[in-house]
Amino acid sequence: MQQISDPQARGTGSPVLKARTVECMGTVISLTLAADAVVQGQPTSDELTAATAVVERLFRGLDETFSLYLTDSEASMLARGELALRDASAQMRERYAEAHEWRLRTDGAFTPERPDGVLDLSGLIKGHAIREAGTSLLALGRRDWCLNAGGDVLVSGSPRPGSAEPWYAGIVDPADRRTLVTGYPLGGNTRHSALATSGSAERGEHIWRVGGGPGFVQVSVAAADIVTADILATAIVSGGAPTLDLAADTWDVAILAVHQDGTLLATPGFRQA
Amino acid sequence: MKIRGAVAAALASAGILLAGWQAGTQVHGISTVTSSTTATGTKGSTGTGSPGTGSTGTGTTGSVGSSGTGSSGTSNSSASGTYTGTAVQTRFGAVQVQITVSNGKITEVTPLQLTDTDGRSIQISNRAAPLLRTKVLAAQSANVQTVSGATVTSRAYLTSLQAAIDAANL
Repeated sequence: MQQISDPQARGTGSPVLKARTVECMGTVISLTLAADAVVQGQPTSDELTAATAVVERLFRGLDETFSLYLTDSEASMLARGELALRDASAQMRERYAEAHEWRLRTDGAFTPERPDGVLDLSGLIKGHAIREAGTSLLALGRRDWCLNAGGDVLVSGSPRPGSAEPWYAGIVDPADRRTLVTGYPLGGNTRHSALATSGSAERGEHIWRVGGGPGFVQVSVAAADIVTADILATAIVSGGAPTLDLAADTWDVAILAVHQDGTLLATPGFRQA
Repeated sequence: MKIRGAVAAALASAGILLAGWQAGTQVHGISTVTSSTTATGTKGSTGTGSPGTGSTGTGTTGSVGSSGTGSSGTSNSSASGTYTGTAVQTRFGAVQVQITVSNGKITEVTPLQLTDTDGRSIQISNRAAPLLRTKVLAAQSANVQTVSGATVTSRAYLTSLQAAIDAANL
């Protein structure tokens, strides 16, 4: 029988992790599992392969329906006016309803419509896909994992299964993508499991600004769930300081915003203890 | 002493802000504080220090003013330093803040005294405040298990920190 890891050694050194990546939705999705096979009682590589396949299937299915880059997707048909929203699929109407709810909650800073009036649910779909993938992983019995889709992170459990140790996520410095501004603990014994970052660094001005002023070049939001984190990060980049205050007052979130000149604005959750 | 007046006003504003956060919807309490601090800001402050020479000065203002040390800037009016506000009493307890000013801009707001009427320190609201980079938790890519950043395209992923972390765990 294999020896169970030395209790003295637990909590020290780096956790043993195994990662897989898949490419979808124009980005790369990374799934990381704790490789502590003895504690989990299952061979990690098989588990990781199976779990990654589930995540990939889910992302691809949603992309086929919601992508505006695929000309024959349901979203593209809606955009071209070939399909009316009332005739759209149930999942399309559900996401549209959810996006509109967020528009109301954020005073319009988040919107599911482009300035030209075309329905664009891409601000919600990635977060939705991560949320669904997380639900699937939990349904598979996976408790300790970290899912990162294009810089938006959802975790469950701990990098050391059985412990209360949180995952630790770094936040990229928008001025130098090889360095981190700070880190934030997720999962484990913390109250936030999701961290999303929005900005104009990667895809140009892909977020439509509704407010004036210089605004933020990058906004990170930590929340209990990934959709809240993702939507609010997008909304704050779009709506600026008023939306940041609204988000901080309304939701149990931690926010780190980076100004154009590199200075930081942060809620107490990001302040060094 | 325009700089010091501005700093005092900013400081008082920060105090009001904190008082506001703490008081929540106590509009009456806030407006009372506002009027007195506005007066302070417009009357300016008394103090010693020599603007124009870049020397360190200390200044105090009235009952709701500020005291602090910092080097006054030269004629281009850029103030730098750390300033501590006077404790402001609210019906929920005392509130006092310290601000760090760099080249005339507030770079950090630190709550110094936030206690309720029983003297226990309390959690202020979740409002965001300027924060120096040295006051956030340091993180290095070697110590994180994942990286959050603005939407990374498939191509940008190849040179990202996340890719390096994934590669190490393959």
